[in-house]
Amino acid sequence: MASRTRQKRITAAGLYLFYAVIILFFLFPLLWVLSLSFKTMPELFYVPPKILPEHFSFENYEQVLWRNNILRYLSNSFKLEVVTIVGTLLIIIPATFALSRFRFKGQHSIQFGILTFQMISPLVIAIPLYRYFSKMHLLNNFWALAFVYIALNIPFSCWSLKGYMDTIPLSIDEAGTIDGCTKMQVLVKLLLPLIGPGIVSVIILIFVRAWSQFIIPYILLSDQKLFPISVGLVNLQSTGETISTHFLAAGCVIGILPTLLVFIVLQRFIVSALTAGAVKE
Amino acid sequence: MRNTDVSGKPLPRKVSCSHGPIPWLLPLLVVLVLAFIYPTIEVIRYSFTDANLAKKTYTYTLKSYRTIFSNPSTYIILRNTFSFVFFSVVFQTLLGFLIALAVDKGEQMHLHGTVLVRVVTLLSWAIPGSIIGVVWTFLYNETGSGILVALLAKVGITKVTFLTNPKHALACAIVANIWRGTAQSMILTYAGLKTIPSDQIEAGNIDGANSWQRLIHIIVPAIMTVIGTNIILNTINTFNTFDMIVSLTGGGPGRATEVLALTSYNTIFSSRMLGRGSAYAVILLFINSLMAIGYFAVLKHREKS
Repeated sequence: MASRTRQKRITAAGLYLFYAVIILFFLFPLLWVLSLSFKTMPELFYVPPKILPEHFSFENYEQVLWRNNILRYLSNSFKLEVVTIVGTLLIIIPATFALSRFRFKGQHSIQFGILTFQMISPLVIAIPLYRYFSKMHLLNNFWALAFVYIALNIPFSCWSLKGYMDTIPLSIDEAGTIDGCTKMQVLVKLLLPLIGPGIVSVIILIFVRAWSQFIIPYILLSDQKLFPISVGLVNLQSTGETISTHFLAAGCVIGILPTLLVFIVLQRFIVSALTAGAVKE
Repeated sequence: MRNTDVSGKPLPRKVSCSHGPIPWLLPLLVVLVLAFIYPTIEVIRYSFTDANLAKKTYTYTLKSYRTIFSNPSTYIILRNTFSFVFFSVVFQTLLGFLIALAVDKGEQMHLHGTVLVRVVTLLSWAIPGSIIGVVWTFLYNETGSGILVALLAKVGITKVTFLTNPKHALACAIVANIWRGTAQSMILTYAGLKTIPSDQIEAGNIDGANSWQRLIHIIVPAIMTVIGTNIILNTINTFNTFDMIVSLTGGGPGRATEVLALTSYNTIFSSRMLGRGSAYAVILLFINSLMAIGYFAVLKHREKS
């Protein structure tokens, strides 16, 4: 028995060491940006650099928020989020209902078709869309951009919401139908409340993905006033002379914070949503 | 009490148009056609033309493909893309697997900090790729005030170069991409491990299997399809990488980190050559389709088992 406990201790020590290395690797880049974001101009050029800033002041944040359009980029991103989430849900909820509750010819093709589009690079579709939007004077148009955001979020969100709806037994629908509910009432009054957690998960996934979306606004927008934060920061970075590292770092922290907070607070929903469909329970 | 006969039993419902699935699916189908199917066909069509963003007219030709395949830089780009994908996917999958295994083992042993490891590993998933690129440019600062330079100097490695050296830049981009993509691998493998029935593992214990044997003979076969899914998803994500490369290196120095998606973008939006850039996009589309077929094969295999 003694050797058993010893074995166990060695395993535990090995695991803790591994945990430490992993946490260091994944946390270090973020902590370094955070540290840079509090530094002053002279501190940026210390050789060797100091791990921690000499004092914590939010001056860089104030500067970058007021001077560099960051507030505008953030508000653009949030507007896009709202429209994308509402639009995607309005389209996928009835579609999921059809795919989960009806049996019809071509159903498999539609389902796999949806999944295939999930795997196509957004660049491929952005090229023709750029040309058409430019002909229709829809480049630099918020609603045209939001339409593409919605389209890109449909495949995976439809797929994962269907996974949730499939877990609700058909007897619920049948009971509703006997009570005289129309299909619409079955969906809205009976099924939607039951798949609430699934809808929350899908909303979080859309939120994170839309926040990260880069290539579509990068191609379809040239007007800085419309940039979301993902493109806005790269734009700031490329105007290198006018923004120095500490301001850009503060901008990065601001750009990371909304999705990171959502993720940390709601990570249970996300873990289940990310793995739904990829792992057979 | 419409739909009932005299005895009160429900009548068989008539299937009419309004009861069919089409009205429910219509908005989805319209968006799919407008935003995916039509553009995909169009990009293939462009690739067989000499279209240019600066000109209004174009003719059909195979010139784009001929130019691409006779251009030596295409092979540099393909080599970059494949090395970027290969090394990223191998390390993302392995590292994700190891972390999932370590967290799972730690949970069984009731160790502290397993939740922390899980959350920290997943953080990168919630961060936009373009911002990840910017963050790593800070780390790869090559002056004396760069943090990696300082850390390496402590272990005696001096005069290091990262993104400015064509020989190192791609490897640096791969490291950043591993940091970015391990989250998904880890969470999929972790969820896969949770589905292995504990009696299977215990049976292994009774048979006197050591940890290594358990891993090879019980754990890995049990989550093989999850690992397959994982590899395919990682491959697709990495092939489509654009955002992180733009902010990290912009494809440079020279063409050292230029990947397919970036070449396609630059050819169209900097050189205005819509036809040729679309041909690059079609190569990407072709690779995406191969991956999709692989993914469906894994899904089918899973449904059977």
